[in-house]
Amino acid sequence: MEKLIIEPTANSPRIVLDPEGRNFEFSGESRPENVRKFYLPVLEWLEAYTAAQQELNDDERTFGLQCQFNFEYFNSTSAKYILDIFKSLNAINALGIGLDIKWLYEEDDEDMLEVGQEMSRMSKLSFEYIIS
Amino acid sequence: MLFFSYFDFLMANLEVIIDFKGSISFEIMENLLNQLKRAKQFNALRKPLKKRVYGTVVESIDNIFKYAAPVEEKFNELQRPPMLMVEEQDGKFTVSAGNLVLNDQIDGLRFKLNRVNKMDDEALKRLYEEVINKETSDEDRGAGLGLITMALRTDEEIRYHFVPAGPGLTYFTMHISIKE
Repeated sequence: MEKLIIEPTANSPRIVLDPEGRNFEFSGESRPENVRKFYLPVLEWLEAYTAAQQELNDDERTFGLQCQFNFEYFNSTSAKYILDIFKSLNAINALGIGLDIKWLYEEDDEDMLEVGQEMSRMSKLSFEYIIS
Repeated sequence: MLFFSYFDFLMANLEVIIDFKGSISFEIMENLLNQLKRAKQFNALRKPLKKRVYGTVVESIDNIFKYAAPVEEKFNELQRPPMLMVEEQDGKFTVSAGNLVLNDQIDGLRFKLNRVNKMDDEALKRLYEEVINKETSDEDRGAGLGLITMALRTDEEIRYHFVPAGPGLTYFTMHISIKE
């Protein structure tokens, strides 16, 4: 599947979904003018990727995806879509594709750490928390 | 005289960082956020507090986008345009936002505000989880996630006022003091 790369702007994050490089990455600030319009292609890509992986036999699937979330800030509307991304990742994880999810936060940014812990709990995925 | 000296006392050290009145577009929002980022009082804050102030300004403006009554620009100018204020006093930041709403929005807004004002952080987090997991549609102009997020960033109640502002319209303001 073709990789998806979205370059960052002042109000939207950089997104890389590169299955060949086994790398998923989200970084920067997220408060785009139209949050739904911004995240819909990402969710559709993840859905298509899950469907494509489902078609494969266990031994043909990708294994070991590095997923890095390094948000500087996201607004409450983006939070809804970021949780949807984690729910999609949960579906991918359920196929036996090992996901290594890293949630980065700045040293004293307890709010960002806490929101990561909430996202992990709500999506039933394990995160590794790393000080950026 | 006593009143004035008490007033002077209250206003001591009060610094206005943003004082904006007018129609708010996405572009104006960018300018206001840049203005905030340049303010020395803002830059003196530790990083997490900075993010709380920044986030509260973003959510306040998003609320104006979501709830502002769809009135004609001219009417908006004549009546009371949306407003956004960021003030700092002795290191404590307060974000205020105001806009016209339709009278039939008042009950819904009051319900959401009273609901979050009554909750402690644990209850707010439970409500956050309930709301974030609800499917939203295009027509949904905000399930209240913004208000919950703002309530989590203050250790005081969100103060709000409704003032009649012409036929069918009310001017709604809210003030959020950011917790340290």
